[in-house]
Amino acid sequence: MKVSRLVFYSLLMIISVFFLVPIIYSLLTSFKTEQEIFSKLITLLPRNPTLASYKYIFQRGAVYINWFKNSTVITVVGVILTTILSSTAGYAFARLPFKGRELMMVFILFIITFPVAVLLIPIYIMSYELDILNTNLGLILPNVASLLPFTIFIMRGAFKLIPQEIEDSAEIDGCSVFMTWLKVMLPIANNGIIIVIIYSFYVIWGEYIFAVTLATQESAMPLSVALTLLKGEGWNYGVLGAAIILSIIPPIIIFLAFQKYLVSGIIKGAIKG
Amino acid sequence: MKNNIFTSREKSKRIWGVLFVVPSFAFIFLFMVYPLVHSFYLSFTKYNFVFDRTPTFIGFRGYIDIFKDPEFILSIKNTFVFGVVFLVLAMIISLSIALMLYFNTRFAWFFRSSIFMPIVVPISFACILFGWMANENFGLLNYIIRDVLNQPQWTRGWLTEPNTAMAMIIGVTLWGSIGFLTILFLGGLQGISTDILEAAIVDGANGWKRIIFIILPNLRETYVITGIWGILKALKVFVQPKVLTEGGPGNATLSMYMHIYNNAFVYFDMGKAATMAFVLSAIILLFSILNLRLNSEK
Repeated sequence: MKVSRLVFYSLLMIISVFFLVPIIYSLLTSFKTEQEIFSKLITLLPRNPTLASYKYIFQRGAVYINWFKNSTVITVVGVILTTILSSTAGYAFARLPFKGRELMMVFILFIITFPVAVLLIPIYIMSYELDILNTNLGLILPNVASLLPFTIFIMRGAFKLIPQEIEDSAEIDGCSVFMTWLKVMLPIANNGIIIVIIYSFYVIWGEYIFAVTLATQESAMPLSVALTLLKGEGWNYGVLGAAIILSIIPPIIIFLAFQKYLVSGIIKGAIKG
Repeated sequence: MKNNIFTSREKSKRIWGVLFVVPSFAFIFLFMVYPLVHSFYLSFTKYNFVFDRTPTFIGFRGYIDIFKDPEFILSIKNTFVFGVVFLVLAMIISLSIALMLYFNTRFAWFFRSSIFMPIVVPISFACILFGWMANENFGLLNYIIRDVLNQPQWTRGWLTEPNTAMAMIIGVTLWGSIGFLTILFLGGLQGISTDILEAAIVDGANGWKRIIFIILPNLRETYVITGIWGILKALKVFVQPKVLTEGGPGNATLSMYMHIYNNAFVYFDMGKAATMAFVLSAIILLFSILNLRLNSEK
């Protein structure tokens, strides 16, 4: 019994290490000196810990700050738009009858089964004609659009869970339709809203396919694409490690803060496939 | 009178319904419906974005021609190999981890956090990290093999040999998706009713027997969800070969998705790329329909 316990925990430990190593290793490397990074003898802990890599990013790597800014603008605006649009449309699909409502929901869910690869070519041509290639706006719009079907579906589910009586009593109290949505329904559906915010945050922050096609100029790139182009351009692995660590701080903060919601969100998300 | 108020409320609901849906639908129409239709049209044309001013309609010829493109056939084969190996490993590993986490109570916070952590790391960053660890000269992988395990003959350029490059692509995909699949399996495990488990204990089923005869057969729904998710993920594999190997060495890790991307945005052959994208879509659609049917059966 004791032995099997030991085997069990060592196995779990090895698995955990496999998942942690890439992140921890780049964290440790970001504190190493340049000679140490390129030496044949690799040590796990930095021998002479230094902040040189981080200094490089902030002093000479003004480009990095620009990429971080692009990622932030695209993500923040994208998440806000996605949340507003899906909590209005989700409410309509759950509670406000209009012509062709059910058919439209099915249609929207059908559309997302198509891979982005199909949409990419016309979106590229359209962005070229609208002259929004290489702009933050040019990435915000398709990101929001491709998130909406699924986030509307989540919000529709969240609103459907709210008992009809609550809505009816708001109506009797004289709330207009808009006010019922804003003051009564929206606060109760906050679980759905949190899931939408977290989900869209991760998707946009890490989004690669739209970014690599629609932002080909370095100045317009978000981090997810920009960092992949840095191999061997004066950005040694220490600097690259530092850049990656800084770039995953925002998602990791969200991960730690909302771990509980994340798990339930993923289980709900499984429906999407 | 009352009736009148009621109908005006209904009317107001209808108006707000439309107002609430129109902005979202404008987005979806502009960036999904219209592109889909446009792309469908392009798939029947010959259209090089750089050389041709307008698309030339060629009907179904494009759909026949792409199957004469050896790179496309190779990309289908690569995607298939990737998908099968990835799916088998992903299912076995994530189910095992889920079982371990399900029975484990000590340090659960640490194990869960470290296994779920990769979910939040953008896949392109994971590829950078893996590419670096696989580096022939100062990568961690060769270092461990050479200096820790003391097996210098096993060191190699992991990304410059066809089979190991594919293995790295599978490895990074596993790293990025096992946390997610483990959560799904945990959800499935928690869904097994305690009555069944208790009945099994009364019948004298011990640890392993309980897992094999009670738990595993009761996860059928979860196998379907995770399996289809894995298949769809494999069919759309793109970032990993793009960042880690550029499809190489040779075309050993060229996936369907990446071949479509290359045709569209490297060779600007939009017509051909659209055709291939619809062939891929057809395959994806097939599995999505299967998913819907299996989901509605339960």
